[in-house]
Amino acid sequence: MTGFAVLVVDDEPGMRDTLMAILELNGYRASSAPDGETAVAAVREGAFDVVVMDVRMPGRDGVSVLEEMGDPPPQVILMTAYAQEERLRAAVKASAFAIVHKPFATHRMLSLIADASRAVNNVSRAAQ
Amino acid sequence: MAEATDRGRTQRKRVRLRLRLISAVTLVVLGGAVAASSLVAQNAIRDQERVLLQERAGEAASVLAGAFAGVQDSLELLGTLAVTNRGRPSTFASAARSVITTSNEGVLVTAQHGTSMVVTAATGNAPAVGQAIPADQDQLARRALSTTGMVSGVLPDGSRRWLAFAIGNAAGPGTVVWERAAFSAAASAQLPTGPWGDLNLALYLSSRPEPTALLAATTSKLPLAGGVQYPFTVGADTWLLVASSPAPLVGTLVQDTPWIVLGIGAIVAALVTTVVEIQSRRRAYAATLVEERTASLRRAVTDLEQAQAQLVRQEKMAAMGQLASTVGHELRNPLAVIMNVLYLLETMAGAGASEAMRRHLATAKRETSAATLIVSDLLDYSAERVPMSTPVQLADLMTEALSVVPPPTGVEVVTHIEPDTDIHADRDQIRQVLLNLITNGYDSMPDGGVLDVSVRSAGDSAQITVTDTGMGMDEATTSRIFTPFYTTKSRGIGLGLAVTKRVVEAHGGTISLQSTPSVGTSFTVTVPTAETMASVPK
Repeated sequence: MTGFAVLVVDDEPGMRDTLMAILELNGYRASSAPDGETAVAAVREGAFDVVVMDVRMPGRDGVSVLEEMGDPPPQVILMTAYAQEERLRAAVKASAFAIVHKPFATHRMLSLIADASRAVNNVSRAAQ
Repeated sequence: MAEATDRGRTQRKRVRLRLRLISAVTLVVLGGAVAASSLVAQNAIRDQERVLLQERAGEAASVLAGAFAGVQDSLELLGTLAVTNRGRPSTFASAARSVITTSNEGVLVTAQHGTSMVVTAATGNAPAVGQAIPADQDQLARRALSTTGMVSGVLPDGSRRWLAFAIGNAAGPGTVVWERAAFSAAASAQLPTGPWGDLNLALYLSSRPEPTALLAATTSKLPLAGGVQYPFTVGADTWLLVASSPAPLVGTLVQDTPWIVLGIGAIVAALVTTVVEIQSRRRAYAATLVEERTASLRRAVTDLEQAQAQLVRQEKMAAMGQLASTVGHELRNPLAVIMNVLYLLETMAGAGASEAMRRHLATAKRETSAATLIVSDLLDYSAERVPMSTPVQLADLMTEALSVVPPPTGVEVVTHIEPDTDIHADRDQIRQVLLNLITNGYDSMPDGGVLDVSVRSAGDSAQITVTDTGMGMDEATTSRIFTPFYTTKSRGIGLGLAVTKRVVEAHGGTISLQSTPSVGTSFTVTVPTAETMASVPK
């Protein structure tokens, strides 16, 4: 489970910092990006297994970023504080791994990230 | 509206059976006026009839008086003749014969001779000279002697009667000059014909209608009912003529006038009453219509006002909802961060954390969850979220929920959770349901107690039961417990159970409760295990 690279994308520094701290505490390699543009660039440059991303951000929103993820795309967990049904349906179509409503139980987020990492593992094993 | 119309119709129907007050008054007033007019006419006609009868009687009396007016002069003259021609009876006789017109009449002179009256001269139907007159005729003779002027009387004489006129001392002192005429004993129909032909008359030789003084009458039905009395003088005596009319003197038509007035008046009164009644009913009908229309207008205005007020209220609520939604959403990010921080603190402190620190952390977690729950309830209530169905492990979800809201001090949680109770549901919404039930249980036990939580399969559904040993609720509270914004707690906004019920029912499930004051409350939620909502395409 450890050693997976996770990118946290959120315009809220508090969320970025605490989530990174939690991930590191649980053995993940965590990085962060404050907006969608930076996130797209980061995913293209570095190989991230899992992306945890807020839906509503200034500039590009999480769903549009999800649609532009690299090949092979990382597993993306979307976080939302809003009930934007249309955008979320689009996100699901663009194969988000999961959608989590803020505020979430930290245990729940961790178990979702673990599931997503396992899925990455399976995909890469299948690719080999 | 329909009810009002029906009532109006019934009222009109009922009124149709009897006169309105105004019409009744009209009828009574007009009827009274007609009756009074009829009575007045009747009185006037009766008076007129009487006046006419009086006049006719007067005429008859004056004719009769005139007929006998010359008798006194004749008798005085005959008396003088009897004195001056004493010893020459032929002169007296020839003078007397000129007075006599029928064989029934006779003229005689009597003189006092001792105690009786003796005839001294006679002509016509009279006793012979030297004869004494019957004693019953003496009375008239004596009255004649003591009276100045002529007296008269009816003298019975067997089958006949005499009408006798007598004047005293006309042929010397103590003498009486008589003229008399014989009548049959029956008095009726013996009056000579005259201008009174259509009247019933009775002639009395006295001032009062005494049967013994009756001289003649035109009818045998005596005394005359309703007749007028007309006294008149003949010589020194007063005679009385009583007259009545068998047929109205004023004429039959005039006689019937009161009845004609009454009849025509009654018809007019009935017509006027009918017109008044019709007008009155029309007015009443119009008034009822106006009343009904006014009432319906008023209702319409009230409805409009209520609708307007409702709109204003709804707009206010919408604005409030918008505000609540915005604030709620804005609170979600900081709440998420706080929960992360709490996790970090808990993990970092690890096994080295003191008991006090663990308790404080638990309180912070519980209160943050409570705040989160309030925000979620508010958002779920103000803007319904479309549930997104995914497979949910109910046992895991319950464990997670219990970890998110650790029990407060004094509360013990007992769980009976069957593993592998899978359902298809919106995970976040069912989690909210569990959190609401758990925090409700905690809140009802401020002095501590036991929260019994069970999750089990029951056929094709899963059953969740949360039972507390708290203060319980009475029936009034139980009946309103799912009403939005209804709360018995000092905190919270009263949406938890309302949202819980809505979510459970949206999942095709049921929620019920049993509560006893001072014993506790037990909520039971049943959710179908099969998918009941459109699943989210993966």
